[in-house]
Amino acid sequence: MSNTINATQVKKMFLAGASNLNAKKEWINELNVFPVPDGDTGTNMTMTIMSAAKDVQNLSDDVDMATLCKNIYSGAMRGARGNSGVILSQLLRGFTKGCRDYQELDAQIIAASFEKAVETAYKAVMKPKEGTILTVAKGASEKATELAKEGVTDLGPFFEEIINYADEVLAKTPEMLPVLKQAGVVDSGGQGLVQVLKGAADQFLGKEVDYSIDEAAATPVSKVQVSAEAEVDIKFGYCTEFIVLLNKPLNVKQEIDFKAFLESIGDSIVMVADDEICKVHVHSNDPGLAIQRALMYGQLSNMKIDNMRMEHREKLFHEQSNGEYAEIDAEINGAAEATPTYNREDDIPLKNGSSSKEEEIPSEHKEMGFVAVCAGNGLADIFRGLGVDYVIEGGQTMNPSTADIFDAAMKVNADTVFVLPNNKNIILAANQAQAMMEDNDESKKIVVIPTKTVPQGITAAINFIPDVSVEDNEEAMKEAISTVKTGEVTYAVRDTVIDDVTIKQGDYMGIGDSGIMGVGSDIEDVTEMMLEKIADDSTELISLYYGSDIKEEEANEFCDRISSRFPTCDVEVQYGGQPIYYYIVSAE
Amino acid sequence: MSKVAIITDTNSGLMPKDGEALGITVIPTPFMIDGVEYLEGVTLTQEEFFKKLADGADVSTSQPSPGALLELWDKLLKEYDEIVYIPLSSGLSSSCQTATMLAMDDYEGKVFVVNNQRISVTMRQSVLDAIELRDKGMSGKEIKDKLEAVKFESSIYIMLDTLYYLKKGGRITPAAAALGTLLKLKPVLQIQGEKLDAFAKARTANQGKNIMINAMLADIENRYGGLDAKDFHLAGAYSYDLDKAMEFKSEVEAAIPGCEMHMDPLSLVVSCHIGPGALAIACSKKIHV
Repeated sequence: MSNTINATQVKKMFLAGASNLNAKKEWINELNVFPVPDGDTGTNMTMTIMSAAKDVQNLSDDVDMATLCKNIYSGAMRGARGNSGVILSQLLRGFTKGCRDYQELDAQIIAASFEKAVETAYKAVMKPKEGTILTVAKGASEKATELAKEGVTDLGPFFEEIINYADEVLAKTPEMLPVLKQAGVVDSGGQGLVQVLKGAADQFLGKEVDYSIDEAAATPVSKVQVSAEAEVDIKFGYCTEFIVLLNKPLNVKQEIDFKAFLESIGDSIVMVADDEICKVHVHSNDPGLAIQRALMYGQLSNMKIDNMRMEHREKLFHEQSNGEYAEIDAEINGAAEATPTYNREDDIPLKNGSSSKEEEIPSEHKEMGFVAVCAGNGLADIFRGLGVDYVIEGGQTMNPSTADIFDAAMKVNADTVFVLPNNKNIILAANQAQAMMEDNDESKKIVVIPTKTVPQGITAAINFIPDVSVEDNEEAMKEAISTVKTGEVTYAVRDTVIDDVTIKQGDYMGIGDSGIMGVGSDIEDVTEMMLEKIADDSTELISLYYGSDIKEEEANEFCDRISSRFPTCDVEVQYGGQPIYYYIVSAE
Repeated sequence: MSKVAIITDTNSGLMPKDGEALGITVIPTPFMIDGVEYLEGVTLTQEEFFKKLADGADVSTSQPSPGALLELWDKLLKEYDEIVYIPLSSGLSSSCQTATMLAMDDYEGKVFVVNNQRISVTMRQSVLDAIELRDKGMSGKEIKDKLEAVKFESSIYIMLDTLYYLKKGGRITPAAAALGTLLKLKPVLQIQGEKLDAFAKARTANQGKNIMINAMLADIENRYGGLDAKDFHLAGAYSYDLDKAMEFKSEVEAAIPGCEMHMDPLSLVVSCHIGPGALAIACSKKIHV
């Protein structure tokens, strides 16, 4: 066997690690403690590493170590999303810092790089928690150091022992974090890391690894949750994806116009552009419009169009053995009505930039601006109404990456951009965007207000005062978010036990700032149960933001019910339009 | 020593009968409500006004008529040598400008129109200051200069219960107009000198009150020489809801210890733009002779 690896081998190992993580991501998603249909660890980590893998794959095989390292960490940093994704990107950043100056890596250098990785990742997390990916990384690093000290030079056994030990540490994570133990799982982020290491080691050891990179994995695609969507109308029938080979890089205006155009014809929009390509994903009833518009910017490739209603039907067909097809047929037929058909070419509505729904980018320069992350058009409108300059679609189902947040902040014409992540799983990515902005030496500054929920974000935005300094605003907003208590109601995607509460798949559950606040089979009962725990004597106002699956009348009736239950409070109901969370509530 | 008369209008919160007690003249502000003219504090009480406002009456305010003003001046000048006239802030009304114009030529050296950007309780304080200065023997011009020298040394924060009347009226800046959102908010406005402008927003009344108290504490620290110096007058105002106002008064006095807060109903000119249920806190720097 060999005692050193060069850049070519590191490249292959990295790709193999990424590919292995990608292959295992669904399995890792299953390990999430909270059974919410949420930004999943496996998906987030995969998207993070795939962002780097895409860059790395394009490097020539005789690449030098420094270039390889730069591509690994910059790709991972930009693609980082979700807490575990951000931590993974920091691990990669630290690791590559440790080895970028060598052309050949031996056990000593690798062990030192591991140490650097762990040190960097711990620094990135404000309150490092044991029993997580950090602990597993630290275990791997300690083992590597120990082996290197013992004089192990043959990298084969060196890697094998590190992975065995990482596996051992992983198996112990439930002992360190009670919440894992109760749910009967090991830490999902730690598992993700082990899978990366395993893939890399397998490649080194000559085991068969397919390290071709599935590009799709690097791009977020919102999955259809079949079980939950059975009763949901599919508003837009065609899932359309393609890549535009840009004639020339899109400027900011073109990018905004294009995105606005896509928003005008559908939803679930993902649009990621660099100087050469623009990747587009949209659900619409007329894929032709998206394609036609995209042709303005260049040739198209990797095109894929699926009829989601048909797929949906097939899935339901398999799942419901007693099958009530009539309704499903009706859904598909109904969709046909929603889909425009054109008799003549002239009928096709040609859109141009002027149709763009403004993603308010004020041209007027100001001192302070806002970027907020949220899902749901109602919530987005609320944030815009409160003066937020740019709303990033995302949150529960899709965590925006560091690069998404960075780019959004760049689009806001202000010296300081406050970022409201509105989800605890997005705060780290936002912090990373803040650090990226600092490194960039732009005249611009990002300040993250660590809002964990949408109501916290709304409170922060309300408390902004244009006349006072950035520092005072930051302080005031941070203080204000502690005055609002939040709860969210969603459904469980599998059976589990959390906080001594047994939850069955399909149950509705209320999740408050400090854990599960109610479980049951009725959305409204669960919401009320949760509000009883959240509201207290000092509560003046209860806000209900209802999601896309709740009808307005239902929400209004529910608002009346809550008003009579809490006669001393004002109760306000607002359309949020968010997916997955039936109600987001707050008490203040 | 010349004999100086002091005139103000009901935007100071002082009513004509208060004027008699203070030995000054208070001009009632004329209102048109559904086509009928009323005079604040004379033919129109606070209760009547808010009832009409709630009924959706068409309310408009106007400035004292120039004719009546000149008549008053002429009458007073028979008895006094000089007049100091303290009208509503020039940022909120044109009364001041009109009076300044009228005071030129024929009344030069006799009528002194004070343009010191005050309204409500801060305007009331200016009137009291003017009385004090007069009693100390100052001339009309000296009083005017003294009051105008500190015109920016006052601040008012007002929390509205509703945005409805603000939107209906026109006396706000674009920034304040932009406050309208999907959410029900309690906007906090500020009057610093010239205009009514947006300051902050709150979701609940308690949050709004805290914002006002904190803003005032900051102003006291930064602009009025600090809490210990006690070199400022603190006052409060409200529209319609006295119970809420008294509760606010005790909260303010607890948060800003050692200060007694004078509490007045907001004048109707302000009230018709902000509606009932508003609370305000005001501060102005003491005048030293």
